[in-house]
Amino acid sequence: MESSDGEDVMKHRVHLRPISLRDADPVTLHLLPCEVPVNRSAPVERFFTPAIRQGPDGLEVSFRGRSLRGEEVEVPLDLVGYVMVMEEKGEVLGKHNFSKGSKNEEELVEPPEALERDFDRSIGASASFSRFTIWGLETIPGPDAKVRAALTWPSLAEAIHAPVPED
Amino acid sequence: MDLSELERDDTGRCRLNSPVPAVCRKEPCALGVDEAGRGPVLGPMVYAICYCPLSRLTDLEALKVADSKTLSESERDRLFAKMEEDGDFVGWALDVLSPNLISTSMLGRVKYNLNSLSHDTAVGLVQYALDQGVNVAQVFVDTVGLPETYQKRLQQCFPNIEVTVKAKADALYPVVSAASICAKVARDQVVKNWQFVEKLQDLDIDYGSGYPNDPKTKAWLRKHVEPIFGFPQFVRFSWRTAQSILEKEAEVVTWEDSPTEDQAGLGRITSYFNEGPRTRPHLYHRYFQERGLEPATTL
Repeated sequence: MESSDGEDVMKHRVHLRPISLRDADPVTLHLLPCEVPVNRSAPVERFFTPAIRQGPDGLEVSFRGRSLRGEEVEVPLDLVGYVMVMEEKGEVLGKHNFSKGSKNEEELVEPPEALERDFDRSIGASASFSRFTIWGLETIPGPDAKVRAALTWPSLAEAIHAPVPED
Repeated sequence: MDLSELERDDTGRCRLNSPVPAVCRKEPCALGVDEAGRGPVLGPMVYAICYCPLSRLTDLEALKVADSKTLSESERDRLFAKMEEDGDFVGWALDVLSPNLISTSMLGRVKYNLNSLSHDTAVGLVQYALDQGVNVAQVFVDTVGLPETYQKRLQQCFPNIEVTVKAKADALYPVVSAASICAKVARDQVVKNWQFVEKLQDLDIDYGSGYPNDPKTKAWLRKHVEPIFGFPQFVRFSWRTAQSILEKEAEVVTWEDSPTEDQAGLGRITSYFNEGPRTRPHLYHRYFQERGLEPATTL
């Protein structure tokens, strides 16, 4: 319905470094009902994890003095969760270091066209996960949680992108 | 005073009580309510009740109980020990409200202010004494907020008890003085033995009185602020002092119920007449909006 009419939409071509998927170690993730608009590491293991309690209606913790209720979410069986990070812009244009990957992978990622600055981006996985904890402000997020619904997208995406048999 | 239950988990609240003296079940009793640690930005708030038969009030007075604020720590400890010795006619109970409970109550979606929390805790303790079979005839309370409204509220909860709410009740009535001693002894002990749930590095336990105007307390707060998590749970996040340190020295956190700039803009009526630049953000299909999904062109 919403056609792409805006010039305000930044177009990029994203390249995934497949090797990073293989190297991604499992990680514990918490999805909080708030935003901290900054990109920095946080001492989750020292401040957050030890404060989690099992309450009568799910997990309990507090963040910045506000009460949170949480529950575990499993990544659907046929999927794997990855934490993706944007790689340095320069890296896309610079020499690709795919030497560790197999020939196959190299062929996979080799873009058919030349790479352009500000257009081509490279992403890689920094960690993997098969489950994570979602937290709601004072109540458990429950079955209506956005992220639960988001997990249904891959199967729909697969269906709508599958070639339609001609007959 | 055995506060080990609280030391195991100090994220919620904890109730503690003496055995009920047999005479307090038979004879009509006076019951005093008082609190300790209402003002500090650190540590728990403790509510206490203390009761004894009306016929034995002079014996309680003879212990020379006084407003806990006028007593030294050792005097309070000594008096509390004496009340324990007089356990055949003096009983007490307390409710320790952890700083985490105070923070999460006051910062809830529906704000639960400290006065309401205090009133409900006091009512809860009086009810607890009644449930234990104490024959409560009179209740004396040191006021929190306006004495009239507090008195009315308590009287409504306990129509068969004679309720007196008064400022400085802790100095006027020995049962309230005794309650204030119980509360203060418990608060001091909890603060002294506080078990930080967080794994803190070079923890400094010299936090002064815990009152917001104490320079030592302020210095401690500044030292232990963490950019993402803010403070350990020992701190009452809802306190002005804590909030202003967070505003200056920690990252901004936006909650789903935080007022957004959009809403703030809607307040001004002139905004409707102002055409302004039309920068409508590009919206994706509702299917994606409802799932919080966006194409990952950048991360």
